[in-house]
Amino acid sequence: MMSEGIADALFYLTVATYVAASVLFLRFLTRGKGDVGVLGPRLIGAGALLHAGHIVIASLVLRRCPVEGIHFPMSVASMSMCVAYVLARKRYRIEVAGAFVAPLALTSLLASRFVGGGEEPGARIKSAILPFHVATNLFGVALFTLAFSAAALYLIQERLLKRKRIDGVFKRLPPLDVLDRAEHRFLVAGFPLLTIGIVTGTLWARHVEMGAPGEVLRAVFGYVTWLVIAGVLFLRAAAGWRGRRAAYGTIAGYAFSLVVLMIYLLRAPQPSAAVADEVEAPATAALALGSAEASSTP
Amino acid sequence: MTLPVVVIGLSHKTAPVEVRERFASGPDVLPEVLARLTARKEIDEAMFLSTCNRVEVIGLPKIAGSHEESVQRASRAIREALRDHIGASSVEELREWLYERSGEDAVRHVFRVAASLDSMVLGEPQILGQVKDAYEAAVAAGALRSHLSRCVRRAFTVAKRVRTETQLGAGMVSISSVAVDLAKRIFGDLRDRTVLLVGAGEMAEAAARSLGQQAKAVRICNRSFERAASLAAHFGATAAPLDQLESELLISDVVVASTSSKSYVITRDLVKRVMKQRKGRTLFFIDIAVPRNVDPQIHEQIDNAYVYNVDDLEHEVAENMKSRQKEVAAAEKIVEAELAEWVKWARGLNVNPTIVALRAKTKGVLVAELERTLGTRLKHLGEGERAALAQMIESATNKLLHAPTTRLREAAGESDGNDLVRAVQHLFDLPAPAAQEEEPAKVAGKASAGESEERLAN
Repeated sequence: MMSEGIADALFYLTVATYVAASVLFLRFLTRGKGDVGVLGPRLIGAGALLHAGHIVIASLVLRRCPVEGIHFPMSVASMSMCVAYVLARKRYRIEVAGAFVAPLALTSLLASRFVGGGEEPGARIKSAILPFHVATNLFGVALFTLAFSAAALYLIQERLLKRKRIDGVFKRLPPLDVLDRAEHRFLVAGFPLLTIGIVTGTLWARHVEMGAPGEVLRAVFGYVTWLVIAGVLFLRAAAGWRGRRAAYGTIAGYAFSLVVLMIYLLRAPQPSAAVADEVEAPATAALALGSAEASSTP
Repeated sequence: MTLPVVVIGLSHKTAPVEVRERFASGPDVLPEVLARLTARKEIDEAMFLSTCNRVEVIGLPKIAGSHEESVQRASRAIREALRDHIGASSVEELREWLYERSGEDAVRHVFRVAASLDSMVLGEPQILGQVKDAYEAAVAAGALRSHLSRCVRRAFTVAKRVRTETQLGAGMVSISSVAVDLAKRIFGDLRDRTVLLVGAGEMAEAAARSLGQQAKAVRICNRSFERAASLAAHFGATAAPLDQLESELLISDVVVASTSSKSYVITRDLVKRVMKQRKGRTLFFIDIAVPRNVDPQIHEQIDNAYVYNVDDLEHEVAENMKSRQKEVAAAEKIVEAELAEWVKWARGLNVNPTIVALRAKTKGVLVAELERTLGTRLKHLGEGERAALAQMIESATNKLLHAPTTRLREAAGESDGNDLVRAVQHLFDLPAPAAQEEEPAKVAGKASAGESEERLAN
């Protein structure tokens, strides 16, 4: 009971820290006020620490693997994203990306708690591949979220530059080329993880043989995500797809990955594990963002 | 009443670069423009100033009738000359872009322009060089001869004082330095970037100076390779002839264009080809030339290519200028002090003909009376005595006119100076003001140029 209280306290503290960071970054972007160079990343870093504490304690309380189910993976993904941001922001000079990272981490954390959907996977579909599959997807998503943040900032910056509005917000955002490079590097770093996620997802899907429409859709969108991001990286290297086009591609890839997540979150709860047992549809890959496990309710 | 100097022109404050570039003239067409101006009977002296941010005609009307009428005629003549210069259909077409100053305002304007108080980048040093070039061209063309020439030379003195007595020109702010700042905000850091300067003039030099050691490499591409090589040697850059522009664009990230070309040196098709080969790497053009060197369509139609011209940098420059506002106040004080001196001198030009006339009349009367007496009652006097009498007349004239001359000169600088001049003319039946004003500049200039010079110098 006490651990549960601590877990709850850490959860709300994490929420408060992410809220504070979001407010700080958005205030800076819209009004140019506040110091996001130091305080912003520190707040996100503190949020990530509290978040990690919450995950550890909650895992102990629930005795659940953090990469199983949908709630915990979402939570772990947002924490990983914050850690990746704190580690990368100085190197890539993208402190302002916190304006996306903090609200996304907050949304993800709240969704992991309050949005229905994934339940603990049934014993039938548990497999040794599952944690590996989920973990790689989690870290991949964390990096893609950063790539998305950089791409979104790039598009804002590029639009301002093309419209020749180089005061105000333009000055508060990182340099255009820095954003382009950061976006590319996050994408390059996240792509192998996504690929492993896809491969392990395919193997795992064979193992469980699922066929519910939601599962199929999720798998299809998982493959589309991979193809889009692979396409963006290939076209950048081969055909000089940089800047705006690459940013749109990155955002499209990220949007597809969100669709996978949405399908998972918004699907109706499966009636029972028996349903899963009844499903005899053709095998499909069950790639999902940190949620490739089947959604059968025990 | 001061000299009726007239300034008509347009600047970054009144017209966008698309309009300014229609008026801009390089040194090659300057004699033709000046000839067009001086051919007008309404204009006595003229100078044509053409820079990135302004095109102005500074003129001195030929006086016929009142000053106001002369100014109006000269103004119309200048506007018509400008209309012909750009091939416009009517003077009305230019109206919305042009500003006009006359009299003291015009002189103040000339002083402020030379002192870089009316520049986009306050205190930038290039403007003085450009005014000097325009001055020399006008002198060489015979368009500047007397009082307007003095006015412009006085502007050089004002600029020098502002430069040495204030901090207006301190620091490294210039169009080029602001452009470099903007480039940094696109690329983050220029240490791994190559900057290409297209053109090797004064602005390119300023850009090379601003870039200093910030960029990985600086390359200079110019029509005259010798000039490019000379500038490159000075700044440790690499020179290339203009026909290698395409290959230079391939390896550059920031391009600063400042040639005197009348058409686009960097076209949309050229950049389209280059961007394909660059695989979309960002290319940032800073076009500080007027007329523009870089096709603006590049900015609108080509991905990852950005074109900024002088007008686009204006806001950025204004931000940089905030710290210089205190210096502006000090510089304006210098301008006003110099203007007061100028006005005093110029008013003296009106007084001098009256003094000369009064002196001539007094001496004429005395000499005439003396000669009459020498021809009759004092016929017996020898050469020595006659010389002594002539000397006495001279001394008497000087002593008699000392007080009125001094008072008139003192009054010249005051607002009621003209009243006193008219009173003297009336009391002593001197030539009518209209007759005197017909060409006051020339009369006064010949009569007492030395005195006036001395007064101004003091």
